[in-house]
Amino acid sequence: MLLLRTLLPAAVSSRCCRLVPPLAALASASPADAAAAQGEVVRELKAAAERDEAAIKAAVERLLALKAQLPAPAQAVAAGGHTPYAYSFAPTHSSAAFAEAFDSLSPGAEDASAEVALCGRVMTKRSFGKLAFFTVQDGEGTFQLYLDKKRLGAAFRPFLDATDGGGFGGVKRTDKGELSVLATLLTKALRPLPDKWKGLADVNKRYRQRYLDMIVNPRVRATFAARARITAYLRRYLDERGFLEIETPCLNAQPGGAEAKPFETYHNALGLDLTLRIATELYLKRLVIGGVERVYELGRIFRNEGISTRHNPEFTSIELYQAYADYEAHDRPPGELVAGAARHVAGGTSVEYQGASIDLAPPWRRVTMAELELCEPELVQPTFVLDHPTEERFELFAVGRELANAFSELTDPVDQRARFEAQAAKKAAGDEEACGVDEDFLTALEHGMPPTGGLGIGIDRLVMLLTDSPSIKDVIAFPLLRPEGQPAPKE
Amino acid sequence: MPDEPEAAAPAGEAGLSKNEQKRRAKQEAQAKAKAEKAAAKAAADAAKPKPAAAAAAQEEEEEEQDPTKYFENRLTFVNGVKEKGANPYPHKFQTSMQLPDYVAKYESIGSGEMSADGGVGLAGRIATKRAGGKGRLVFFDVVGDGAKVQVFASADKFSDYAGLEKDEKAARFSALMSTLKRGDIVGVRGTPGKTKRGELSLFPTEMTLLTPCLHMLPKVPPGSSGLADKETRYRQRYLDLIMNPTTRSTFITRTRAINFLRRFLDMHGFLEVETPMMNAIPGGATARPFITKHNDLNLDMYMRIAPELYLKMLVVGGLDRAHATAVHGRLFTAGGVASRHNPEFTTCEFYWAYADYEDPTPPPHTRTHCSPTRTGPHVECRGVSSHSLLCTGPDQVHGRAPLADGAAHTGDDTSATRPRHGLCAEHGVECKPPLTTYRLLDKLVGEFLESQCLHPTFITDHPKIMSPLAKDHRSKPGLTERFELFANYHEMCNAYTELNDPVEQRARFAAQATWRRKAAGDDEAMFVDDGFITAPGPALEYGLPPTAGWGMGIDRLCMLLTDNESIKEVLLFPAMRPVGMAADFNPDCQ
Repeated sequence: MLLLRTLLPAAVSSRCCRLVPPLAALASASPADAAAAQGEVVRELKAAAERDEAAIKAAVERLLALKAQLPAPAQAVAAGGHTPYAYSFAPTHSSAAFAEAFDSLSPGAEDASAEVALCGRVMTKRSFGKLAFFTVQDGEGTFQLYLDKKRLGAAFRPFLDATDGGGFGGVKRTDKGELSVLATLLTKALRPLPDKWKGLADVNKRYRQRYLDMIVNPRVRATFAARARITAYLRRYLDERGFLEIETPCLNAQPGGAEAKPFETYHNALGLDLTLRIATELYLKRLVIGGVERVYELGRIFRNEGISTRHNPEFTSIELYQAYADYEAHDRPPGELVAGAARHVAGGTSVEYQGASIDLAPPWRRVTMAELELCEPELVQPTFVLDHPTEERFELFAVGRELANAFSELTDPVDQRARFEAQAAKKAAGDEEACGVDEDFLTALEHGMPPTGGLGIGIDRLVMLLTDSPSIKDVIAFPLLRPEGQPAPKE
Repeated sequence: MPDEPEAAAPAGEAGLSKNEQKRRAKQEAQAKAKAEKAAAKAAADAAKPKPAAAAAAQEEEEEEQDPTKYFENRLTFVNGVKEKGANPYPHKFQTSMQLPDYVAKYESIGSGEMSADGGVGLAGRIATKRAGGKGRLVFFDVVGDGAKVQVFASADKFSDYAGLEKDEKAARFSALMSTLKRGDIVGVRGTPGKTKRGELSLFPTEMTLLTPCLHMLPKVPPGSSGLADKETRYRQRYLDLIMNPTTRSTFITRTRAINFLRRFLDMHGFLEVETPMMNAIPGGATARPFITKHNDLNLDMYMRIAPELYLKMLVVGGLDRAHATAVHGRLFTAGGVASRHNPEFTTCEFYWAYADYEDPTPPPHTRTHCSPTRTGPHVECRGVSSHSLLCTGPDQVHGRAPLADGAAHTGDDTSATRPRHGLCAEHGVECKPPLTTYRLLDKLVGEFLESQCLHPTFITDHPKIMSPLAKDHRSKPGLTERFELFANYHEMCNAYTELNDPVEQRARFAAQATWRRKAAGDDEAMFVDDGFITAPGPALEYGLPPTAGWGMGIDRLCMLLTDNESIKEVLLFPAMRPVGMAADFNPDCQ
């Protein structure tokens, strides 16, 4: 009889268990002393991990030295042993699928016919003499491992010794002859996980070691899953409407398309100074000129600016251009893109953001610059701000931030040159955010760009809004951080 | 429904017969004018040319002007429009549909017939312009979104000219037509129909100049199929796209291929993720990085040469299936520009927990279903038309032949380098110093294995020294669990069972750092020793589950799928040497 319940105190047990404790296998391989010493150093390493980085380094150095004396994985496997770093594992169920499949078992019941294999990270390990409970986490949740010495026999103790919180394990129930549960250590963790409840309150550590953040905070994983679904939705919306997704260079001979300070770099082989793009605009417009009438790029933008809760030096935007449309035509796409993304990931157009209730259902309020007496932070509900000076342009604001920005694109090369020259004058006067005259783009524009509507949406800010994340660092997996030890500048 | 065409037919026919009469009259007039022109020419300077011929001659003359003069003339015209208070760059022209939709919708119209639909608006670029009918007719080929529609402009149809005297009408029409040049973007509204010869056309009641083209479009030499000059094509890709329909289809294929990859991975539960392109420490591949600086933090940063280390950190964090594709798989190397290399290029990488390197290798019979384009699995390349490269079951080449005993000595001491050096010398394989084991092996593999890989071929189980991030082979000492997929002699994919033992990883990085120091000048040795373990956090020490990692070069894939030999053909804006760089500087030789 086998009892299988997940997410409940009672979990997995078996009449007869075969356990393959990997470190024990290592110990049986020659030279035994080296393996024993390795086990000892690993325990030492764990003890040192939280308090002393120097002790960790010393322990790892000793492990490196011991490694030479241990058999190589191929030899260990050939000798019938295992390595603490298995090659693969084939699960039959995720934790969620497992819970669903066996949900109908009543408390205390076992399904003797089930054959299951699960794997995941050991999050907690509680041992009560002859019983042990492991909580194991995979991508979809957790399951509990119920280990009973009466059922496991001699294999019980070595398995407990070989595993501890943080490592990866696979659990497989086989029915070759006797019913059995086979538990295998897949990856040995050398460091302990932070305490689930207080270990990762340190915001900096959360961002610096995002993988720890993801292990202990399930919400983080959900945020990045939502991010992927939002971009997938935007792509699908545009693909279905005949927009072609393309890729343009990140390395530009000169910056353009926005007012921002660029990153500078150098191409060795060509002896060429380059800047990282501050916008995708000017290349996308070249393609509209080339006859790609509906085009977009979802891509990384780089701006050499300070870091804050709203700014990361590299961020993601989507820019789309549609020939023969003007900015009025774009009233529909921003509304449908943003509200559609909200429906897609949040289930509706009403979202909570940091305590405020936001209704993203179009039509949105429209105000002109002239009417507008509010400043940006007060534009909480989605609002189109129309007609900026000299340009046919609107900006979409929500929760006090600019979310999207659209233009009837300038197609007159003479006017464009005059604006570039005004920028160049500002640049010459020391404005680091101003761009120069882009002759190459002007030549393209002189070949004729059709009347075109353009729209840009900041993906990071959209994801912040839809996942109720207060900082841009919460929606970028690896945000740029001040080097450790460098003090923040005074405000 | 069947009634509709019949109901529409009488009106169509009525319109048609009138049209036909007119058209015939015009064609006769045109033919007559031509004959007269010929006669005039034959009679040399005796006869004066007719108005239509004069207009055509003027056009030709303009076309033959030097580009600067042409540009100045067009600019003068644009400024003239502005001075009159008009806008030569209107904000909007309401189109009814895009050109490909127009062709699809109306191509079934019979020759010489008109559609009952009126007021259909189209916009596009003028590809050709021809005058006819004593200046009362002008024919345009307008192109947009890969399709072409003829615009059959006749003064009599223009709604603005209704009720005008014949001469006034002709003068106005002629004035408008003279402002519309080859290359201009125009908006046209009118009635769909087909000419007697069966050419699908739009018969306009209105034509508007939307954007003048201030430059002459390049002329295609007779007998050539399009714009051929590569410098112009790469530097002014928009001209390439305007002039060469195959360029457009190349990039549509590219987008479809990428969409397929993304959809395939999404479907199998892989989460698309974005990782930094600027890193405080480079790592994860062997290449020379771009260096930049973050001013505010006073921090030197490196453009990433691989997304690998960050993606593995996400697997440590519990994303059991993660991928970075195309825009999120952009990589940068500051090495040379060549036919197969661009400083920034595109990859697709995925990481798959609990799988090993055998798992991402589909059985041969499923591979034929993986073709990402609508053209089907048959791909022609290098003129090997009878071979369908993706259809052939992949062969397995075990990387031993001339490298026998390769596994035995994979260090960088003399005992390891000497036999490889000997092999290179014996077979005339050139390897520039420093003669490290890695470089010698790489040359030998290129000579003996990659050269056999026209059809998709897996090269498997590389020596450890060539694969610092791959796991030791479970049964072959000295080798790793790795494969590379080659096709058309190019590396397409590279995959490992990922090395997840942090102590072993540290040992490999340390060894590599040592070789690098010894081989001073081997720029390609991995830049860092322990970045993955220390700098971005000791991720491996927290445990990476058994994981398969797989990467593919998207640019190479697109080269194969579109039958192109140069990476520049599949990048919209390839890196080019600066204009004016010494002519003898050939970046392809770098």
